[in-house]
Amino acid sequence: MKKLISLLLALVMVLSLGSAAFAAPGDQADGKLTIWCWDQTFNIAAMNVAKEMYQAEHPDVEIDIQEVLWEDIESRIIASNGDTSTLPDITLIQDNAFQKEVINYPEVFYDITDSYDFTDFGEAKVAYSVVDGKNYGIPFDAGTVVAAWRTDYLEEAGYTVDDLTDIDMDRFLEIARDVKEKTGMPMLSGEAGAVDTVLILLQSCGGSMFNEDGSVNMKDNDKLKAVLDVYNTMVTEGLFIEVNSWDEYIGTLSNQSVVGTFTGCWILSTIMSLTDQAGKWAVTNMPAMTGVEDATNYSNNGGSSWAIINNKDIDLALDFMQMYRNVDFYDAILPTTSAIACFTPAKDAPNYTAPSEFFNGDAIFAKIVEFGALVPSNNTGAYYYDARSALATAKTNIIGGADMDSELANAEDTINFTMGF
Amino acid sequence: MTQTSGKRLTMHQKQNLWGWAFLIPATVLIFWLSFYPMIRALMISFQGGRPTALTWSDPLTRNYKFLVKDRVFIQSLKNTFTYLIIQVPIMLVLAMIFATLLNDHQLKFKGLFRTCIFLPCATALVAYSLIFRTMFSYDGMVNAVLVKIGILNEPINWLNNPNTAKAVIIIALIWRWTGYNMIFYLSSMQSIDYSVYEAARIDGAGAATQLFKITIPLLKPIILVTAIMSTNGTLQLFDESVNLTKGGPANATITMSHYIYNTMFQNNPNFGYAAAMSFVILILVAVLSAIQMKVGDKRE
Repeated sequence: MKKLISLLLALVMVLSLGSAAFAAPGDQADGKLTIWCWDQTFNIAAMNVAKEMYQAEHPDVEIDIQEVLWEDIESRIIASNGDTSTLPDITLIQDNAFQKEVINYPEVFYDITDSYDFTDFGEAKVAYSVVDGKNYGIPFDAGTVVAAWRTDYLEEAGYTVDDLTDIDMDRFLEIARDVKEKTGMPMLSGEAGAVDTVLILLQSCGGSMFNEDGSVNMKDNDKLKAVLDVYNTMVTEGLFIEVNSWDEYIGTLSNQSVVGTFTGCWILSTIMSLTDQAGKWAVTNMPAMTGVEDATNYSNNGGSSWAIINNKDIDLALDFMQMYRNVDFYDAILPTTSAIACFTPAKDAPNYTAPSEFFNGDAIFAKIVEFGALVPSNNTGAYYYDARSALATAKTNIIGGADMDSELANAEDTINFTMGF
Repeated sequence: MTQTSGKRLTMHQKQNLWGWAFLIPATVLIFWLSFYPMIRALMISFQGGRPTALTWSDPLTRNYKFLVKDRVFIQSLKNTFTYLIIQVPIMLVLAMIFATLLNDHQLKFKGLFRTCIFLPCATALVAYSLIFRTMFSYDGMVNAVLVKIGILNEPINWLNNPNTAKAVIIIALIWRWTGYNMIFYLSSMQSIDYSVYEAARIDGAGAATQLFKITIPLLKPIILVTAIMSTNGTLQLFDESVNLTKGGPANATITMSHYIYNTMFQNNPNFGYAAAMSFVILILVAVLSAIQMKVGDKRE
């Protein structure tokens, strides 16, 4: 008898081990939505507002918003291996990775081309989540680039934020050198291993690491060379401080060791959290490349879109996501998240035109929406991240003194090598 | 077999059967969770294409042939071997020195010192990597101390220079793993009878002679074990590369496992190629262990 019990116990253990591995959250059409996103102060906060507004009209719908880091979402999509039972109904995806995910896992993503209305969304933004002419993503936040400068440091060197508005790179370098001489402060900072600044400048003149047809465009990319030249100049002259990690980059802003930064407008929520620096910052557009074709003062960095997962409660998910075509929703999330809408009608909502106290009464959000409309689009594709890391290697070597042409040729070879599989 | 009685044989068989019954759950789990994935991985290493639609490569060894031409992979191979060649000998010698010191019968507070040296092993890999990154950052503690005591004139950006970044990883590895290996040496030293050393002293053997003629020869099997384990561990190095330096600057510190991870999870996912790379590591570990066994195992 005892033996039988112990055998049964062992069996139960083995079985429960097995079933735990196959347990799945949620099911098809169960009237319940599970949502994955990653930032408590940003996209989770926005989704919570959407949930509240939706449940006010549909009280019986259960919505579960889970915090899952982007890296984990990506690993879980890979681990699902095309079986969506372990995935949520809706998930947030980085714009730069969107095409990579859809191309590799077409089984996972639901084609919403005919079931969602994309009018009034910025065209360049929607393009991030289009594969083979089909839409897979509902735009969320824009990564419109803003330049944020410390007005007190500029003043010390005899400049105002107007001197940094609508300028070109030559003028910017001139000012940066002058500011460095008078205050000892570098204008900018960034991660040494990252290429954010390079890609921001590249996109500002309509350039990409890829051609329209998806082939790599590096070694004969004059725009990229001009950008790397400028970047190299800034770093070698100490106008741009390279740090080793993201935390250190944020540190340069909070420790007041740089004059400012230009990057995606999501940085503003970090800047606005530095309450002791209120009133000392101003927002404007970024410097445009000098002597480069199609150069503008506008670019994009980051941003994300929502994907609907296949074989889930798709009708409910689509109905819920109508919230992202609702001006009141965008108006409600703006003050707490500073998430800039990609839905154009939102720009007339009251909170968008309201002055910001932190920025001395400047209506920064309306400004950013205006910038957003002027951003040139770029090409990403499945190999975008391969290209980023190859470019980062080239950039580091160029700053170390290596020849630019051969480094870019190397980078192009590296990506072509991966694409050759 | 001396049992001849029929009854005893059934008893024996019965016991045998129960033995197998107890072995089955563990065996099934090991086959399911360990051997099956290994065989699958071997098959995938001959496949290519989109992750959910893998097809056999043409020719079958296509992934392996690509490896030879992959610049980043070769760089990661070089980096990993740099770590191996510099870090493992330093670490094992240090572990031996600490073990000898702590094995001294006259030493007081032995327990305290042992705990101190072993404690790094109890820290999580990610946590200690992040602490090393903070210590070696541009405005970190190491620079502050070195500048203050006058060794450096100005701070070094440790993690942004290929050589110093490698050095930081090696220092971190030595800090983390020396105590672990020391414990192995210490425990086998304690199993050497103290009278052997007393006899040696009477014969006029000094401390160095005792170490090289008694301790090390008697410790040979355990030295072999630690050498194989360290080699194996270093070839699979991952956390330090990811968390301390992110493989940078310009892939100067990326390890093979880190590159495999990037191939799977960061870049466009390429299962076949990643699996092929992991089998190269397996082969390297096997070959290096075989060499070490051959060299180290000379007992007759």
